[in-house]
Amino acid sequence: MFEKKDLLIIVPFLIIAAGIFAWFNLRSSAGGIAVVEKSGVEICRIDLSKQTKTEILDIGGDMHIKLKVEPGAISFYHSDCPDQICVRTGKLTKPGQTAVCVPGKVSVRIIQRSGEKKYDGYTGWHQ
Amino acid sequence: MNRRKTVAIVLFAILILILAALIAIWTHFGQREKRYECTNYAMGTYIQQTVYGKKAQEAAKEAAVKIQELENLISWRKNDSDIGRLNQAAGTKPAVIHEKTAALLRTSLEIAQKSNGAYDPTILPISDLWGFESDNPCVPDSKDIQKFLPDVNYKDLQVSTGSSGSTAFMKRAMMGIDLGGIGKGAACDEAVAAYRTAGAECGIISAGGSSLGLFGTKADGTPWKIAIRDPNSSDNSVTEMAELNLDSGFVSTSGVYEKKFTQNGITYHHLLNPKTGYPENNGLVSVTVVTPNGALSDGLSTACFVLGLEKGEALLKQYQCEGVFIDRARNVYVTAGLKSRLKIINSKYVIKS
Repeated sequence: MFEKKDLLIIVPFLIIAAGIFAWFNLRSSAGGIAVVEKSGVEICRIDLSKQTKTEILDIGGDMHIKLKVEPGAISFYHSDCPDQICVRTGKLTKPGQTAVCVPGKVSVRIIQRSGEKKYDGYTGWHQ
Repeated sequence: MNRRKTVAIVLFAILILILAALIAIWTHFGQREKRYECTNYAMGTYIQQTVYGKKAQEAAKEAAVKIQELENLISWRKNDSDIGRLNQAAGTKPAVIHEKTAALLRTSLEIAQKSNGAYDPTILPISDLWGFESDNPCVPDSKDIQKFLPDVNYKDLQVSTGSSGSTAFMKRAMMGIDLGGIGKGAACDEAVAAYRTAGAECGIISAGGSSLGLFGTKADGTPWKIAIRDPNSSDNSVTEMAELNLDSGFVSTSGVYEKKFTQNGITYHHLLNPKTGYPENNGLVSVTVVTPNGALSDGLSTACFVLGLEKGEALLKQYQCEGVFIDRARNVYVTAGLKSRLKIINSKYVIKS
């Protein structure tokens, strides 16, 4: 029923279909939780997978740090520090990644979402 | 290749594409909409809820309201709560209490009786001395403990219900009720009842990380997977030692790591023996109890911890409840009904029978 030529039409469509799946799945699993700390004290936590729009978060401090929070990613947007290492680190998207502004004493790290649904519940985790 | 066939194949391919897109959207957004997570602070602790179904949000919000209402009734830190008024009226007159408070007090009295006082709701005079809930807990003077110990006695707490409502009375003025050993479990009862009333499909509530309520069956039909904390793992990197696969019910864990402080090199935990007035030191480090009722699971985990392995297991048998006992040497004792549901993850722990 099918000829070889037909595959030339079907295969690209199947690839696109697979692409749509991959895109949705990557999107939903992208980004853990960003933990923002200033002078070692946690000031906020952002669930990057739940972030739907791009926002600028004003952290302030000596270096007037601003963070850019996007769906699935967080980055240093602005810092007055001389070395600009933090800004050059770029976007953080995966658990384990960290960006730090040493002069401004601000750090951002991405942690795994708790249990990433490995378990439904935890008992004995006293809070 | 004839043209008509080409058109047919292209149309077929487009159909697949649309289907793929629809399925992707449905699996992604459909499930997300049906799941609702929220956290709030109540009962002096952190309440975490994950509810599924079209009514998930409504159910979780209703649960939060019910838990707050319960706190307003049973908090001994609030002077105008039922328990607050009952404590103030101790030794003088009975206090009028809500039916819900009365029911909870009855459950706590029953556990106290069956455990022969290993769990005692009238522990307040002693728990106040230790101050585990305060910012500055410390070892009390032994004279103070001896002085207040006689006022810890559940037998001198009476709960009665008549046509005009419920009252409770404590015989001596120095007596006081502290429902810390049962309150979080009772909060889970409130939440699960709210999920049922609101028509949620399924859900899980965690009160303070030590009591859990499971409602309904998960959409994929698999049992709820519950991690039990490794009692030897440190606070800043808590790990699990085993997993429990449960269809429903309530789970509570009492462990030595929960609330503790160190004074002169000795670490004291919050699981006080009402008979001695000191933290129970019988070799157990954690007890997890699974029951069909939240308040019961919470109260029984405390009672079983203080009773120790043998008597604790006997108490669970009386209630037809299940449990997991862990001792200092990493031996794990599981009641018969949980054996097939417990899976050890940290191989340092060994199941004994």
